Formats: sequence, structure tokens, C-alpha cells
Amino acid sequence: MTLVLRIGLLSALAILLSALAAYLVENPSGTSAGTISSNPITSYLTLAGLAHGLATGTPEAYLALGTFVLIATPLLRVATGIYYFGAHHERTLTAVTVTVLILLLLGILVIGPLIH
Amino acid sequence: MELGLFVLILALVAIAAGFVGSLTGLGGGVVMIPVLLIFFGVPFPIAVGTGSVTILATSATTGAAYVRDRLTDIRIGMFLEIATVPGALVGAGLTVFLTHSNLDQALLIALGLVLLSIVPGAIGRRHEELPAGVEPDRRSLALGFRGEYPDAALGRTVAYQAGDTDSALGVMFGAGIVSGMFGIGAGVFKVLALDRYLHLPMKVSTATSNFMIGVTAAAGAGVLLAAGYINPVIGAPVAVGTVVGAYIGSRILPGLHNRTVRWIFVPVIVALAVETILRGFGLP
Repeated sequence: MTLVLRIGLLSALAILLSALAAYLVENPSGTSAGTISSNPITSYLTLAGLAHGLATGTPEAYLALGTFVLIATPLLRVATGIYYFGAHHERTLTAVTVTVLILLLLGILVIGPLIH
Repeated sequence: MELGLFVLILALVAIAAGFVGSLTGLGGGVVMIPVLLIFFGVPFPIAVGTGSVTILATSATTGAAYVRDRLTDIRIGMFLEIATVPGALVGAGLTVFLTHSNLDQALLIALGLVLLSIVPGAIGRRHEELPAGVEPDRRSLALGFRGEYPDAALGRTVAYQAGDTDSALGVMFGAGIVSGMFGIGAGVFKVLALDRYLHLPMKVSTATSNFMIGVTAAAGAGVLLAAGYINPVIGAPVAVGTVVGAYIGSRILPGLHNRTVRWIFVPVIVALAVETILRGFGLP
């Protein structure tokens, strides 16, 4: 599980750092007020929007991707927990972990889009 | 303010947030969210959503380090997520609803008062190095919720047995709601449940709380992200800075006495509580 955390975290940081550098280069006259008042995330909440942003090399799209990876890392850790507890024949904890993963996915794929 | 300077300041504050968050099990959001609100005028729901990025980064960094130091009890932590994750989903949904109803200031005051109510208990037990006389319930015995860890400060291996799981599950559900609503990780309540109801050693409580915070925050962050409450331009320097601070904090923790961790824990709660109450009343 430690490996999953490390890979997820390092991947997210690498994407975020390079995207942030590109964003700063592309916005030399940017201000804190402008950044705070405009949130570009809404353009990249769909697969099509994200894919288009990544394909065209938009820094904001890569910033969004890094954020997605950061949020997905704990989910991957839970998924590896299912394998870990299953391998040790811990039925109750395996069932608990499967339920936790389903709830996490429910929040991201159903509740979040419904609220949006 | 110029964007480059803004990003630099965010990263530096996030280093401090990550350091405090990993040492106390609170998560870095307790520092980051007030700073975003007070010094940069970030709207409340965006601050909460962006702050949750801090929590994820802190937990991922310290989680790996604590597991390596054998301080995290993953079995107990994962079991308790069955309560925190549904709580976080409810909380994240509530915060979206309440921010549209202009009730967020009243909630800030309530949160501050709840946090202050935790302080007397934390101070009252501050001299207790390790729990003693723990009576496990049937579930704790059936699932084998016990373990041991090498305590570098005491110079020996410490064994422990978890106590009251029912009460811990109840507190954890509340912790999940607070985490989803305020994006602070709710490590305060998680450490409370692990320390006071399960009677785990403080260092195991803190490390296990850090593990749990990440999963709980991911539940709330996922909902808030989909609702457009996470700004990735602000989130990026926050995440990078937090990781640096959290790594430093996690390297220091194994060598500390439990009393030291508790003394760091208490003033952070007080500062957070006062801050949230002041903001609730609209004061600077």
C-alpha cells in the first residue's frame, strides 16, 4: 500500500509542478485576484473536456489532471486493501473495504455530478 | 498581487500547514483554509475544496512514512472508514446546500465551539503516556483489533488492544460529516475516537488518523471537485508545499514523546477554534 501512495503522490506532484510552471510562463501578467475569481476546473470535469485540454497542451487541463490523480490515490490504496485483506482471508475486513470503495466511487461518479 | 509571488506565498504557507498537519494528525487544512479565506479573500466553498487538496497531500506523504515506521494500524483504520466515508458524502452534499442558503457563518461558530469542547479532555489526559486497563468489546476481540509498535522514544515495543468500537464508529461518522463540510480533515475527531474510545497509544492514534484522513478527504473532495469547488491553480502550489512540510513533520514524529505530540495538539485546536468562531461572527 505504501508503494501505491508513493507512486500516486509523486505522479500527481510531477504533473502539478510542470503544469504550474507552464501556467506561470503563459500568464506573465497574471494576478492573484484574477486567479481567485476564475476557476477553470469546470472546463475539465468531463472526459471530453479534459481530453481536449490535454491534447491541446492547456496548462489548466494538466493542473486538473494532477488534482484528479491526487484524489484518486487514496482510492487506489483502498483497492489494494481489498487484495491485502482477501489474501489474508479476513472476510469481514474485505467486505468492509469493498463497501468503502463503492461508497467512494458513488460520491465521485453520482453524488458530485448530481450536485453540479 | 503578482501571480508568481502569490504562488510562492501559497507554497510557503502550505509547507507550514503540512508540518503542523502531519505532527498533530489534524491535516494541513486547519492552517491552509483560514489563510485562503482571511489573507487572500478566497470564497468559502472554494477554500474548503482547495483545502481538501492539502489534506490529501498530507495524508499521502505521512501515511507512507508512518506505515514504514509501523505506527499506522491499517486494519482498524480501514474498518472505521465504513463510518467516515458515508459521513463525508453527507457533509460535502450539505456544504453545497448550506453555502447556497447563507448558513455557513452559523456553522463556523458551531464548529469552533465543538473544537473548544475537545480541549479539556486533551489537557486532562496530557500526562498519560500509554493507555492502561483497556476493556475491549466483542467486535474488537472478534476482529482481533490489537497490535504493537516500536516506540523509539521509550526504547521498547509497545503492545495495545482496541476498546469500544461502537462509540468510535459513532464519532467517526460525525468526523466524516465535519470533514466533508469544512474540508479540515477532521483529524481532531478521528484522534479523539482512536485515543479516547479505542484507547490506542497516542502515536498510533495520530498515524492511523493520518491514514484515515486521506480516504475520508477523497470522499468529500471528489464530491466538491465535481461540483466545481476545487481551483487547481491554487491547489497545485498548496499540494507541493504541503508535501514538503508533511515529510519534515513525519520524520520528526517517531522520535517524540507522546506528551510532546499532545502539547502540540492542544494549541492547534484552540487556534483553529478561535479562528472559526471569529470568522463566524464576521470579525477579522
